[in-house]
Amino acid sequence: MTRRIYTGLAWLFLLLLAVYFLFPIYMAIVNSFKTQSELYKSVLSWPKSLSFDNYTQAFKKANMMRSGLNTIIVTATGIFGIVLCSSLAGYKLSRTRGKLSNVLFMLFVASMLIPFQTIMVTLTKMAKDLGLQGSPFGLGVVCAGLGVNMAIFLYHGFVKGIPRELDESAHMDGCGEWRAFFKIIFPLLLPITFTIVVLNMLWLWNDFLLPVLLLNDFRDYTLVLTINMFFGKYSREWSLILASLILSSIPIVVIFSIFQRWIIQGITDGAVKG
Amino acid sequence: MTRRSARAAFSLLLFVLPAFILYLIFLVIPMFQGSYYSFTNWDGLNKTYGFVGFSNFAEAFREDSHFRSAILFTAKYVICAVVLQNAVALLLAMLIESRRRAKGLFRTIFFMPNMLSVIISTFMWVFVFSKVIPALSEYSALKFLDVSWLGNPTVSFWTIMIVSVWGGVGTLMLIYMSAIQGIPQHLKEAAIIDGAQPYHMLRYITLPLIAHALTICIFLTLNSSFKVYDLVYALTGGGPGRGTQVITMNILEEAYQGNYRYGYASAKAIILFLIIFVITMIQVTVMKKREVEA
Repeated sequence: MTRRIYTGLAWLFLLLLAVYFLFPIYMAIVNSFKTQSELYKSVLSWPKSLSFDNYTQAFKKANMMRSGLNTIIVTATGIFGIVLCSSLAGYKLSRTRGKLSNVLFMLFVASMLIPFQTIMVTLTKMAKDLGLQGSPFGLGVVCAGLGVNMAIFLYHGFVKGIPRELDESAHMDGCGEWRAFFKIIFPLLLPITFTIVVLNMLWLWNDFLLPVLLLNDFRDYTLVLTINMFFGKYSREWSLILASLILSSIPIVVIFSIFQRWIIQGITDGAVKG
Repeated sequence: MTRRSARAAFSLLLFVLPAFILYLIFLVIPMFQGSYYSFTNWDGLNKTYGFVGFSNFAEAFREDSHFRSAILFTAKYVICAVVLQNAVALLLAMLIESRRRAKGLFRTIFFMPNMLSVIISTFMWVFVFSKVIPALSEYSALKFLDVSWLGNPTVSFWTIMIVSVWGGVGTLMLIYMSAIQGIPQHLKEAAIIDGAQPYHMLRYITLPLIAHALTICIFLTLNSSFKVYDLVYALTGGGPGRGTQVITMNILEEAYQGNYRYGYASAKAIILFLIIFVITMIQVTVMKKREVEA
């Protein structure tokens, strides 16, 4: 009997929490299909007709094409830089014994404790001095710099599980060190690379504060910045804003639904090993 | 050093070089510069500036009432966010793990907010608090919802907390779930045979055996909630007035919005770093000691 009460309570809790979690998303979707006057008359009702007007308007007015492209540039540059630099460093640091290797690794790991907030002011100035301010590509490079430490940590741990004999046999076959890395080692690092790509994609795609500090012209804005600007500009036209919110979330939600299993795996691994 | 080890060291440096350069330019140098500027009165533009010793730090603690109230507000936020996010995440993890059906569905629902940008999802909540809830409160049974969710600092704190829990539990839940899956089945069975009630299971089996996950999750939440910015920015903008201003906002205001006191802002940033560093170090050391092996 008590067991059944517990099961009932468990379901009740889960359903209540599910309502809490879905509520804002549901409300945003429903109201994004209403016309402005319809929304003001009744927020809670279903839309009278299914019209995509708000969406086409939001797409044009919020310059989604341009900002979407900028976001892709930032994300791709950042991820490419992080994966390339950290896999090289993480692999070699893990394989080399000795003081130098240990010290370098500790330096990278220790820096994971630096909060972004502590360096943001000087980092912005540094980016400006290097001419990386004001371009999505430059932002991607800066992000790569901020992301290498954690990726090195994850690669370092993963490489320990790959037998050393592989390096040696490649060496025997007359493969140079660099060729051996890209031909033989890197393909074996794909599982952890996937984790690193997922974690960084979520960060880069959705980041706000660093892009705000580094991008000044609205033509360079990422999706999140564009939405932020759009929100300020059309603050009373909720139906339009909601459509822009939904629209800008679609890419990441689609990617998530396709790769859900691996993403969840990646996030758990990243957190537990990080 | 033999030729062989010299060659190994050289090849190590070559492999590490690209990452090290990025790391040096974007992490180490800004960190050192920030520490250095925190002892100066630099305004970010002028080539000349003076060395002022600890006076920035003294000013932050003694004279800056905005900074003090931002620290207090952030501290209050951190305590509530760490407790609530972990409690809800753990509850969800246990509830979902004890279900036989629809596990994947519930996991997706509760993880969903983590996919979206904090700014974007918080704007959805702004809509809920400024349009949907007022509409709901017109029904007489829901009259109690008729409060100023975003306009009154005391209420806004809990508004922020509602959104913070909504957006923060997904990752924690996944970590707790994988920890719960790692509890050996025979321990659970033995406890049930011994007549353990669900409360006892939680207290004597689950909690001790997922202690490592607790350590990680509390570390993660401490870190993220001390640094909170996006959520508060999108929800209340720090307002009304400075009623909900968090530390990050205060630092940014000092550095960019009209003040341009880079040196002083750097000092505040260093203070934030020290607060997070000391607290998380204590947390990890204390909690590591209490972990047990299954």
